[in-house]
Amino acid sequence: MALFFKRAQYDAPAPGANGQVTTVAARPQPLEASELRRAVDPATLGFKTTDELHPITGLIGQDRALKAIQFGVNIKSHDFNIFVLGPPASGKTTAVKAHLGPKAAEAPTPADWVYVYNFDNPNRPHALKLPHGRAKELASGMVGVLDELRSVLPALFESEDYQVRRRAIDEQFRSGQEEALEALNRKAQSQNIAILRTPTGFTMAPMHEGKVVKPEVFNALPEAMRKDVENKIETLQKELESILERMPKADKKRRAELSELNEEVAKHAVDASLDELIAAFSDVAQVSDYLAAAGRDLTRNVGLFLMSGEEEQNAIVRQPVDTARDARFRRYLVNVMVSNGVSGGVRAQGGAPVVEELNPTYGNLIGRIEHIAQMGTLVTDFLLIKPGALHAANGGYLLIDARKLLLSPFAWEALKRALKAREIHVEQPSEATGFSMISTQSLDPDPIPLELRVVLFGDRELYYMLSAYDPDFAGLFKVQADFDDTIARSGENDNAYARVIASIVKEHGLKPFDASGVARIIDEGARLADDREKLSIEIGRIADIVREADYWSSQAKRKLTTKQDVARAIDEQIQRADRLRDRAQETIARGLVLVDTEGARVGQINALSVIQLGTFSFGRPSRITARVRVGAGRVMDIEREAKLGGPLHTKGVMILWGFLAGRYALDVPLSLAATLVFEQSYGGVDGDSASAAELFALLSALSEQPIRQSLAVTGSVNQLGEIQAIGGVNEKIEGFFDVCRQRGLNEQQGVLIPKSNVQHLMLREDVVEAVRHGQFAIYPISTIDEGIEILTGVKAGERGPEGRFPGGTINRLVEDKVRSFAERVRGFSKGQGGNAADNSGGTQ
Amino acid sequence: MIAHVARSGEDRGRVVLQLGSVNPSAAALEAAVRVARAFQSEIESLFVEDAQLFDCAAYTFVREVSLTGRQRRVMSPAGMTRDLRHAAQAARRQLEALARRAEVPLRSRVVRDEPLRALAIACAESGPWNVVALAEPFTAGNASPLKQLLIEIPGTTGLILVGPKSRPVRGPIVVAVEDSERLPALLRAAGRLATVDGADIVLLLIATDEERLARMDGEARLVVDAREDVRIAHAEVARGEAAVIAEALRRLRGGFVICQFGGLTVPEEGDLRPLASVLESPLFLVR
Repeated sequence: MALFFKRAQYDAPAPGANGQVTTVAARPQPLEASELRRAVDPATLGFKTTDELHPITGLIGQDRALKAIQFGVNIKSHDFNIFVLGPPASGKTTAVKAHLGPKAAEAPTPADWVYVYNFDNPNRPHALKLPHGRAKELASGMVGVLDELRSVLPALFESEDYQVRRRAIDEQFRSGQEEALEALNRKAQSQNIAILRTPTGFTMAPMHEGKVVKPEVFNALPEAMRKDVENKIETLQKELESILERMPKADKKRRAELSELNEEVAKHAVDASLDELIAAFSDVAQVSDYLAAAGRDLTRNVGLFLMSGEEEQNAIVRQPVDTARDARFRRYLVNVMVSNGVSGGVRAQGGAPVVEELNPTYGNLIGRIEHIAQMGTLVTDFLLIKPGALHAANGGYLLIDARKLLLSPFAWEALKRALKAREIHVEQPSEATGFSMISTQSLDPDPIPLELRVVLFGDRELYYMLSAYDPDFAGLFKVQADFDDTIARSGENDNAYARVIASIVKEHGLKPFDASGVARIIDEGARLADDREKLSIEIGRIADIVREADYWSSQAKRKLTTKQDVARAIDEQIQRADRLRDRAQETIARGLVLVDTEGARVGQINALSVIQLGTFSFGRPSRITARVRVGAGRVMDIEREAKLGGPLHTKGVMILWGFLAGRYALDVPLSLAATLVFEQSYGGVDGDSASAAELFALLSALSEQPIRQSLAVTGSVNQLGEIQAIGGVNEKIEGFFDVCRQRGLNEQQGVLIPKSNVQHLMLREDVVEAVRHGQFAIYPISTIDEGIEILTGVKAGERGPEGRFPGGTINRLVEDKVRSFAERVRGFSKGQGGNAADNSGGTQ
Repeated sequence: MIAHVARSGEDRGRVVLQLGSVNPSAAALEAAVRVARAFQSEIESLFVEDAQLFDCAAYTFVREVSLTGRQRRVMSPAGMTRDLRHAAQAARRQLEALARRAEVPLRSRVVRDEPLRALAIACAESGPWNVVALAEPFTAGNASPLKQLLIEIPGTTGLILVGPKSRPVRGPIVVAVEDSERLPALLRAAGRLATVDGADIVLLLIATDEERLARMDGEARLVVDAREDVRIAHAEVARGEAAVIAEALRRLRGGFVICQFGGLTVPEEGDLRPLASVLESPLFLVR
């Protein structure tokens, strides 16, 4: 297709080394200003200010995703969890919450869960399920029971009745023992035998007048007398042994009797204290069993209530320690894991919980078993089991950001384990993974049954990666709610967009927007979508612009937010982020980065690239140069050789070779060597959007026809020479425009873009204005031939019936060069043999 | 010492702690240290190796019966010396730890003698302001050994005793008051003891009839005046029954009990069993 230059001051092509060329007959046709931007006419919106609009609470244009969410929420099967995929700030979470809210409100309120002490096996705390709203009742009830027992039991054990009975037992034992010892003592004294205590026992010796007889005196006695004393001592020692041996048994009996008495006294008080609670929870069998066990244990361990707690003893100012904090009574307390339906003592609105876990670490998700340091050791008990988001959301919905979840060690595996097992098993991550370096006392609490719907939020890349690499993922997250990035642009959708803006205004309490302001935001929506036929639904970014525009409107003391405020907001956003863009422009302006914007050069072209900085991106021209010579038939991509080129860029360069070979060397060997380089590029280069520019540079080098430096090119090319669409077309055009404007627009400058990208054009208003005034031009091209004609002013030429390109055309010049290279190589081969091509001289 | 020191306004005295072959009660050691700290006095620990034990050990046919009654052991003077030395060292270490913590000066010595005589000599050497602390819990059926001790050691102003149920407890300083005239001195002693841990003081008024009790109450209130740290309690009219007084003392859950020897609480010839069976705190028995 022939294109014609529109402007009168068209540069004449420079004569090449091949002599006369065939110039294009007419100017190529650039795009009209109206084709560069699709702006909304405020008058067509049908309102004056957003106050007249009904805000939209949900989303627009996300029917597919919303249907999926609806399905995921309604289906009963447990493994139909939802993965919501879509771009960030597209309102996914808000939309899901809006859908879950009414559904959750209608759902039955889930049960409460508590952990209580296991009196048979303290390391395995029991999980008790209670009707919703009653967990705290049980917990406070147990504290009440303990409070009561703290006052009742000491009084009971101080009572005269108890003391008398206790003393009777003590005395029975003591008198028995002491009397036996005293009797033995008396008997020994009557026989003139002394009983004395040694550090480790008792001993006996003959005595006279209350004193032990000296051995030398005793030895002077007649043998019969001595024998008699020895016999007496032997007999007494046996009796003493008998008495001492009986003591532990008697003491054991005493303790048993005392324990029996204590339990008898305590049981009455314990039963009376627990009665009310047992009656209140008679409908919950598990709780009744627990209370019965607690009652038995309280009765057995009544001593706990008769001593002061450690904290009380150590306190500087002594006052009774709160029961809930008293270490003695921990085992009787109730650890409320989940309490639904009661808030501040008032029964709150029912329904299923919708919990969003913003920090989905292992502990925050599954719960954790905390430890406290005690005497240099870490210890724990059932009260240190802390609930996680799964507990809080059990019976309802749990919303998690998938990326955060995957970044938290052990959390993803733990979540899958819980969903598969359909129960929450609180354990240390080290135990769950079998990687425990430190052995600390831990617990193995009863698992709690899990019945909830998990909603993960993430981007598409994450979703597809999980689908590909995690075999469990597809089985557990069967519902895919795919949020679109954009919606189609239509009058209806423009109106819906306006209502979204109205809802943002209302939600944040902003000043109303007039129609011009709304229209400008819709324009920006198209710009964010990178497509004038689409509108971006990144609600977060739109909301930012709306709020910032409101700010600038306030600064300007306007009652309505207008187009000027929106434009200011957008400009300010860019200005805050465009330091690097300024630097890039500056380096070009100061000649540090070489970019020509006038004249013509062989083998040199301006390509365009996009630099992305967070949410802000900008275009920047780069010089590409190409050199060719006789060679072995390959294009050397210097970016790739220097390991600066990415795979897509390399692919683009290889396609060029395919094009050259296919078009110009069908019947001769492609005996050329070419080098391509992005000049002054010190970072990585990737993408194939410069492949067309690279090919133009090569064709220029081969045909020796100079390329107009007032033009820049973007677009990828295929082997057939067709120009294909690329991304970031607006930023690229604007990047070159900014450089040209800085140097002065000369009506020759412009950009060649793929024709298929025209629909994406949503250029800045200053660019549109420049085009409107003929100062700048955008040329849509669909083939290499169209492009080379604009760039060189020389006809590309089509192959004639005889199979040759017309003389003086670019294609003919290139073909001739290729054939001459082949001839020279053949000449070298005949004359010298071997591979002479590599030693041949280069040419441009 | 203590009561006398308190009365005379002197600050210092000496606690003579008697240790022997019987394993010392931890509560007794703590009580001795507490009294010494309260009165800024020193402790002189006297480990008495009962000379009679060496005579016993010299008999070839005499055996030592273990505390469990399950073992018999041949004795020898050398073995007895070793056992007693070990016991003395253990007691000394235990006491040193307590004294260091309370910053109370401690002197320790070991003598081989008859226990009562050794104690009398030690007290005589140390001067008149002594209080004797007994490390072995008292279990005697009657108070006559205590009387003998006070007779044999005339320079002693009081005894610190613990019963078989004694354990380290916190609570008020309970003063068993049977004679109003002794109240100011006893109250001063209680005040000194209370300074150690800021305990309150409870005056337990004990009398044999209501009229006397009422009179004592009036007198006690005059002495106490407006002190907020002192409260007055009444024992039931005792009529000479030590068990009733013992029960009253138990209910007050004192951290230390101060009473005079030879009264209704600890009669000179009476039965100490009721007191021994209930008393958990140390007893400071004033002559």
